[in-house]
Amino acid sequence: MARLLAPLLVLTMIVWAGLSREVRHGRADFVFVNRGDVSTLDVQQMSWLQDFRVAGLLLEGLTRHDLASPELAPAPGVAGRWDTSPDGLTYTFHLRPDARWSNGDPVTAEDFIASWRRSLLPENGADYARLFHLIRGGRDFYQRRAGALARFAGDRSVGDRGRAAADLWCRTLEDFSNSVGLSAPDPLTLRVELEHPVPYFLDLTAFAAFYPQHAGSVREAERVDPESGAVRTDPAWCGAGRLLSNGPFVLESWRFKREMRLVRNEHYWDAGSVGPRTIAIPSIADGNAQVVAFRTGVVDWTSDVTPAYRGEMLRQKEAFYAEQGGEVERLRAAGVGPIEIDRRLPADPRSCIHALPSFGTYFYNFNCRPFLADGRANPFADRRVRRAFALTVDKAGITRSVRRAGEPVAGTLIPPGSLGGYESPRGLGFDPPAARALLSEAGYPGGKGLPVIELLFNAEGEHDQIAQAAAKDWALHLGVSVRLVQKEVRSFREDVKKGNFMVSRASWFGDYGDATTFLDIHRTGDGNNDRGYSSDGYDALLARAEREPDAALRRKMLSEAERMLVEDDLPFVPLFHYAQVYLFDAHAIEGISDHPRQVQQLWRVRRIGAKGGVP
Amino acid sequence: MTRSVLRRLAQLPLILVVIFTITLALAWAVPGNPLENPEGPQPPAEAVEAMKARYNLGSFWAFYGTYLDRASGAGYVRARLAGERPARVFDLGPSLQYRDRTVNEILGESLPVSMGLGALAMVMALLLGVSAGVLGAIKPGGWLDHATLGVALVGVSVPSFVIGAVLLGVFTLNLGWFPIGEWGTLRAMVLPALALSLPYAAYLARLTRMGMVDALASDYARSARAKGLPERRVVLVHALRNALLPVVSYLGPALAGAMTGSFVVEVIFTVPGLGQHFVAAVQNKDLFLIMGIVLAYSTMVVLLNLGADVMYRWVDPRTA
Repeated sequence: MARLLAPLLVLTMIVWAGLSREVRHGRADFVFVNRGDVSTLDVQQMSWLQDFRVAGLLLEGLTRHDLASPELAPAPGVAGRWDTSPDGLTYTFHLRPDARWSNGDPVTAEDFIASWRRSLLPENGADYARLFHLIRGGRDFYQRRAGALARFAGDRSVGDRGRAAADLWCRTLEDFSNSVGLSAPDPLTLRVELEHPVPYFLDLTAFAAFYPQHAGSVREAERVDPESGAVRTDPAWCGAGRLLSNGPFVLESWRFKREMRLVRNEHYWDAGSVGPRTIAIPSIADGNAQVVAFRTGVVDWTSDVTPAYRGEMLRQKEAFYAEQGGEVERLRAAGVGPIEIDRRLPADPRSCIHALPSFGTYFYNFNCRPFLADGRANPFADRRVRRAFALTVDKAGITRSVRRAGEPVAGTLIPPGSLGGYESPRGLGFDPPAARALLSEAGYPGGKGLPVIELLFNAEGEHDQIAQAAAKDWALHLGVSVRLVQKEVRSFREDVKKGNFMVSRASWFGDYGDATTFLDIHRTGDGNNDRGYSSDGYDALLARAEREPDAALRRKMLSEAERMLVEDDLPFVPLFHYAQVYLFDAHAIEGISDHPRQVQQLWRVRRIGAKGGVP
Repeated sequence: MTRSVLRRLAQLPLILVVIFTITLALAWAVPGNPLENPEGPQPPAEAVEAMKARYNLGSFWAFYGTYLDRASGAGYVRARLAGERPARVFDLGPSLQYRDRTVNEILGESLPVSMGLGALAMVMALLLGVSAGVLGAIKPGGWLDHATLGVALVGVSVPSFVIGAVLLGVFTLNLGWFPIGEWGTLRAMVLPALALSLPYAAYLARLTRMGMVDALASDYARSARAKGLPERRVVLVHALRNALLPVVSYLGPALAGAMTGSFVVEVIFTVPGLGQHFVAAVQNKDLFLIMGIVLAYSTMVVLLNLGADVMYRWVDPRTA
């Protein structure tokens, strides 16, 4: 009989062994659920909001955003001050002497140069390499290096490859310092020369891709691969215990897909403005689990509320507002921000959900190429057809009955009001008769002659319901038949990239505070121009704006360019501007920003009522 | 017995190579480029080319060869002979999606979690299932029998995401007995282990009940009663020992299933185990991670089945 208990004993021992290796921490001062799991802490490799958010806690750029100003004006960061040449082509940054890395080393101009150089090395695969092409000589250097690597890898006649690869790397470094417009006249001065005036350059220097890395620790982790000639960085360099910070926090531990913990950086120059002593970022993927974790006090802020009952939560908040007897309307009329309104109303669990404007738009791409991938003629090559389809999507119906997050219907690509001083075009409305007229004019009266329209989207989220709504509208108002094509995200992406679609789902979020962050992706041949849209007039207008020194005039040109997109040419139809849906108690914490650019400075978060700035 | 164990251990590498080949061929055929982003800004074409060269993604056979060489430990042996000291014996490569991480690290962090959770679920399933089975078999057709069979039916039929959501709603949100979003305590493991255990408990209950009903009606049970032994002793000692043999042989595959098949439960309860990576890796076409997880899972399944067989022979001397 005793032998029968052996399996039970073995199992219990496995459980016990698993538990005994766990290390436990106390609750951090501020706990938040990020939008997804951080994929890397190497800023040159980042491309996701969740990565940028953590980067903003660990590192600091030359400038940082002034969250108090509506246009997020640049405020001093590592650079205490800067000068701009009259032609707008040269920026000279004067680094503050008290900016330090978490090991006490001063932050130098060389740290920035080495870090930006990594973005301009194709082997590092930086998604944001294009932003560094704004620096004089950046694009040419990038392409030269790519060519040199390809030649080196293909040349099998080299004898001592290790040595040849090292030589190639030395030549590359020399080429970089000779040809790219970055220099350090002294350790605390950084001079940046640009290809053309970039009025938003000081906004870019506050963006994570432009953060510095500790040049010494990156260099230690780099080695030259003799086979390919490429420089490889051992990823361990950005792990806990090795990654150095120059921002408000230091990485204490990162248990992958589990929890990341940050502690205050004692060497941060602006330590006085830092609220929490410790921050924990647990990895909670499931939308329902996130809400339960918030409700049970495990987390303070959930930055992307996704469960299916989200619409119901938002409706309950509306009901709570309705009980306030017009107070909400009074506060809104007085210009009080949405989070502050909740703080002034009585505390209520229903008001913890916040749907705030964001810097992103949901749209449908139209394939603008003359032929479809299978060789058939493409009806959407005709902009009248595109306009007709754009005029017949009932966007309000989609936001009302599918999304249910109070998101604004989109007539434009750039969310209106998100960029200071920028005037958005009006865009097209909902006009089925005009659409039918356009369609007849294009040779398809009543939809006759059009092939079955294929609408491609990826399988996650609510994309299927949105596609059904759009398909129904097109069938009803244009008389066309629509086939929904749902694919898993990677193969969806493959089709979009190859232009193998008629209409496809898309979204875009802006990275920096300028209209070009949305407009550049429609330039002919741009790597993100999935639509295959090409307009000489549009390209020329953007090129003219690039050279325009007058800021107001330039904004007008960009606004006109967007108008061409959303009123004339319609390479896409914008459906709605995303809302960012947060979950936090405005009566318990402060410091979360509701700025539509989605910029957060989470080191400023404080518990309300806490004394001396320490939660 | 030693010989048969050794023979099966010797088969392991062969099984793994076959599984590896089939899985890699399938994963390779999945459309999509793992070096691009599904949404948002795309890396420049030059960068994609450079990364492709870096991860050896240019040709199937080149990838197959180098991966097998490193993962099997052959590369390690060669490097040791050449006087180098590589960091890992079985190098499963980097993750394409999480570029700071190696697959070895990911497995090292999350595999023990899934194993611990699966083991606890099995403990619960054994306790719940066997007791329910015994109770039901004492009076076949009685109300207790119907009740336990009914509960078992529910346990088998209700999917774990429903059970999970209910448990989470009642015990975490309303009663606050068990935490969410933290891991490393027995308390945090209880709910996910329970959700995971219910289908197994239900099956074990039916298995035990069947064995018990047969055993209690058998000749030796009648002799035991005739000797004047109390019924409790007949049930718990004489009948249960024989009724539990099929349970023991079911344990191997069940444990393998519980340790590897907890994906849904892991997501619902935010368990930092391997299951969540498995699905995400396929979606991301993260070739290194897919292969690493498949190899780890296959090794586990083979070893657990072997372990269960050994234990079965040890428990039941007739099969030795």
